Amino acid sequence: MSDEQGEGRRGGRGFSPDFLTELFRSPLDPGYADAALRRAERGQPGRAGWSVGPVSVAVVVLLGFLFAVAYRQTMAEEPGRAQARSGLVAQIQQREDETDELSTRADALREEVNRQREAALGGSHAARLRNLEASTGLGKVRGDGVVVRLADAPSGQQPLSGANVGPSQVLYSDLQGVANDLWGAGAEAIAINGQRLTATSTIRNAGQAILVDFRPVTGPYEVSAIGPGAMRKRYEGSRSALTMRKVAQDTGLSFEVREADDLTLPAAPEPQLRYAQPAVSASPSGADELSGSGSSPSPSGGGR
Amino acid sequence: MIAVLALLAGVLLGLWLDPTVPSALQPYLPIAVVAALDAVFGGVRAKLDRIFDDKQFVVSFISNVLVAALIVYLGDQLGVGGQLSTGVVVVLGVRIFGNVAAIRRHLFRA
Repeated sequence: MSDEQGEGRRGGRGFSPDFLTELFRSPLDPGYADAALRRAERGQPGRAGWSVGPVSVAVVVLLGFLFAVAYRQTMAEEPGRAQARSGLVAQIQQREDETDELSTRADALREEVNRQREAALGGSHAARLRNLEASTGLGKVRGDGVVVRLADAPSGQQPLSGANVGPSQVLYSDLQGVANDLWGAGAEAIAINGQRLTATSTIRNAGQAILVDFRPVTGPYEVSAIGPGAMRKRYEGSRSALTMRKVAQDTGLSFEVREADDLTLPAAPEPQLRYAQPAVSASPSGADELSGSGSSPSPSGGGR
Repeated sequence: MIAVLALLAGVLLGLWLDPTVPSALQPYLPIAVVAALDAVFGGVRAKLDRIFDDKQFVVSFISNVLVAALIVYLGDQLGVGGQLSTGVVVVLGVRIFGNVAAIRRHLFRA
């Protein structure tokens, strides 16, 4: 498809009706054929071998220049992108380290405050305060309970069946369901990956990440709960446990419930109450009632 | 032979001078490269077909680069820059493929 096509096209120059077909059939610029024809008409011979005119040489130099510049440009852009990305990653890590450090310091300070307060209050008031803190999630607690472990299905292990079984990742709603049913099964304190849940805790998702109290948690997710000895059995019969077992079977994500002894759940950060004002009542009966329920963190205790 | 040497000279010149491309022209550089490649392969094929013409080569190179840049520029102004560059790349890519296939047939008779 060289010369004779150039000849064949001679008759109808310009745009053929089917531009794409033409493009595929004869990719060579038709101008070359025309120029060759003109030369043949004038009786000039075509250039022999690989020699080209000075203008073409200049153009070829320009071409090499263009290639080199484009190459340089692409190479120069690449590290910029990588740098920006690694810079951001480093920043995130640094901030996370800072946050960890600050929260460690906050914990230490809180302990210090507690100690000072106990020394100042002394006796029954301090004990009551401690119990209140433990039950509201503001104090560290220890006890036996269960740990529910959820993990995303290993990537690449997609279910082969064409059935729509849903995503094989743990969703924030799964964690919500697990936490709710653990409360329902009698848990007195729950933490997700070391984030203690309180009355104002949130479990939400932002994009791909799951946020517990606005702090991202990553899989595998461990929901630890301290509660009565029968909690595991009760939880196993709950809706979220049954649902998650089925989901685990269908999608390959892992879900397991085990009993754990001597769990330690950290304190939650102090909630910032902006609108709710504590309504102080000095009635001694209410205080006694509170201290009574708070001071019995026995495993068989509340939540029924 | 002269052409290959000239190409090498151009590459070395570009690497040596290392000019900074104005940021306004940067989006057109890849398209210009593709258009230039089209002109080059067209020229090589014409050479092998024994119908090479200096004027045609120079004009096709310059007009290819300019038209490709113009189309991308227009597309950018109209908000369809990405799609139009894709179109340019497809058309030039098809031509490059066809010409390279013709060159291959010339060189290897296959």
